[in-house]
Amino acid sequence: MNLFPLYLTVKVSLVATVFTASAGLVLAWVLAKKEFFGKTVLDVLIMQPLVIPPTVLGYYLLSTFGTGSPIGRFFENVFGMQIVFTWKGAVLASIVSSLPLFVKPAKAAIEGVGNDLENAARLLGKTELYIFRTITLPIAWRGIMAGVVMAFARATGEFGATLMVAGNIPGRTQTLPIAIYDAVQSGDTYTANLLVGIITLFSFLVLYIAERFTKGRF
Amino acid sequence: MNLKLSLKKSLDGFSIDVNLSVHEELLVLFGPSGAGKSLILKMVSGIIMPDEGVVEIGNERVYDSENHIDLPVRNRRIGFLFQDYALFPHMTVYGNIAYGINHLKGPMIKEKVDELIAVMRLSGLEKRYPHELSGGQRQRCALARTLAIEPRVLLLDEPFSALDFQVREKLRADLLRIHTLYPITTILVTHDLEEAFMLGKKIAVINNGRIEQAGPREEVFYRPGTRSVAKFIGTRNIFDGTIVGLDGPLVTILNKDIGLVKAFVTEGGELQTGQDVSFCIRPEEVIIIRPDRPLDYRVHDNIIEGEITSIIGKGSTQIMFLKTGSGDTFLKIEVPNFVVRKLSLGKGRHIRVSLKKESLWVIP
Repeated sequence: MNLFPLYLTVKVSLVATVFTASAGLVLAWVLAKKEFFGKTVLDVLIMQPLVIPPTVLGYYLLSTFGTGSPIGRFFENVFGMQIVFTWKGAVLASIVSSLPLFVKPAKAAIEGVGNDLENAARLLGKTELYIFRTITLPIAWRGIMAGVVMAFARATGEFGATLMVAGNIPGRTQTLPIAIYDAVQSGDTYTANLLVGIITLFSFLVLYIAERFTKGRF
Repeated sequence: MNLKLSLKKSLDGFSIDVNLSVHEELLVLFGPSGAGKSLILKMVSGIIMPDEGVVEIGNERVYDSENHIDLPVRNRRIGFLFQDYALFPHMTVYGNIAYGINHLKGPMIKEKVDELIAVMRLSGLEKRYPHELSGGQRQRCALARTLAIEPRVLLLDEPFSALDFQVREKLRADLLRIHTLYPITTILVTHDLEEAFMLGKKIAVINNGRIEQAGPREEVFYRPGTRSVAKFIGTRNIFDGTIVGLDGPLVTILNKDIGLVKAFVTEGGELQTGQDVSFCIRPEEVIIIRPDRPLDYRVHDNIIEGEITSIIGKGSTQIMFLKTGSGDTFLKIEVPNFVVRKLSLGKGRHIRVSLKKESLWVIP
């Protein structure tokens, strides 16, 4: 039994979640607390992966980060890093598709921290970053953690965009969902059932934990 | 530290235009809900930006629209007590109070917090979280937090509105004690008349975004400058009339319904015969003439007869309405309960009252 897809999926999801949560936190804060031109457009753009087909998303990423594109060439020349058809491509696909699932609850949680609390901290002489670290984050952390869990779950289940950007290279870019597809196509029911079992149990646990988190039972 | 402010701001269908200066004292900003009181505090602190104006603390301009000065909120060193206190829910009483202490180090911080905890009667509650405190304790904790930064100016936004009646009384007294202990230039905002009277040696009455009158408490309460100030400060007996006689400080006013009324004015210079004025008297200043006693010379003037149309208990006093004149003028009278009992006053009784010349106030 080849466990590489499981290992790759965990690795890709963990790395993707770190990026999603970091970038997502800044975006969630900006969307929750700041007023600026084009705010709605930014909001809609972040939410796009929820509604456009994963293959379309994958196609966008492929054309943006492919070796033929300026950005792809930039990464290759400056960092010596190829993104498409490597595990990094899978990470990229996971980041973009899980971002809305993180930003939505995180934004709601940050919005829930009353402006008076932040103003009180400002009046007590604190900088914006300090206030975010000591007031906003600690009060909103449940919602933010729920977002992290959701983003991680979404990353583990990512299929369409990953297939487009990272391909299906066994032992290199074949994640769990793609391995299941492969097993079914080749009639390997045993492997398919096992992997499906693993991912089903995992998804259930993740949502269960997220639910408990938001309700404050942990 | 003196605080001077001059602020202008326009909002939908409402505008604020105020000038105030406070000198190391407690000023009560008093007015009805929606008059713009809280907004003024928020503009002084920098939470909300005015359209134009100047805010000066001591000799420092923290805001000046003309010279593009707008000191960030965090650098203004202003203590602000929010209406709902805005305590940090995830921090203990100790943590809340210590949060803003930036100017001290190590054991000095603990010393400062301990001092405030003792002054605010919060000893033993250091490790509690805000949701484990009573309303009064929460308010004192929030006040301690603002005092911990040794603010140059203290702004209190309706500090007692979220509290029960009994707690309020005690905490008002507390606030006065604390203000003597830490005599910081303070603006307290309230819509509660009793509170304004109890706390403010100086009072500014605000209405519709404008300061209608500002001055010592006695002056504002007994010598309202405009009809609306008179109304806000609880003067219900406001009548119109025309001046028919001027004799030094003594003015004679003709009211169509009541007749001639005599009043003393302190500055009669601006008044002229024939001028239309308003005059008023506080309900508690109306004197009931006892029918069984000879008329005292002090209540000889402005005697009015009428019928009591209603009488309502208000705790230790009773409010009566007296129908007088041709029946269109109602005089509100507030008398202690024992007077009502002693004179067996009640609905339908005819009585005579005197509006003392000294108690009447004439509004030009």
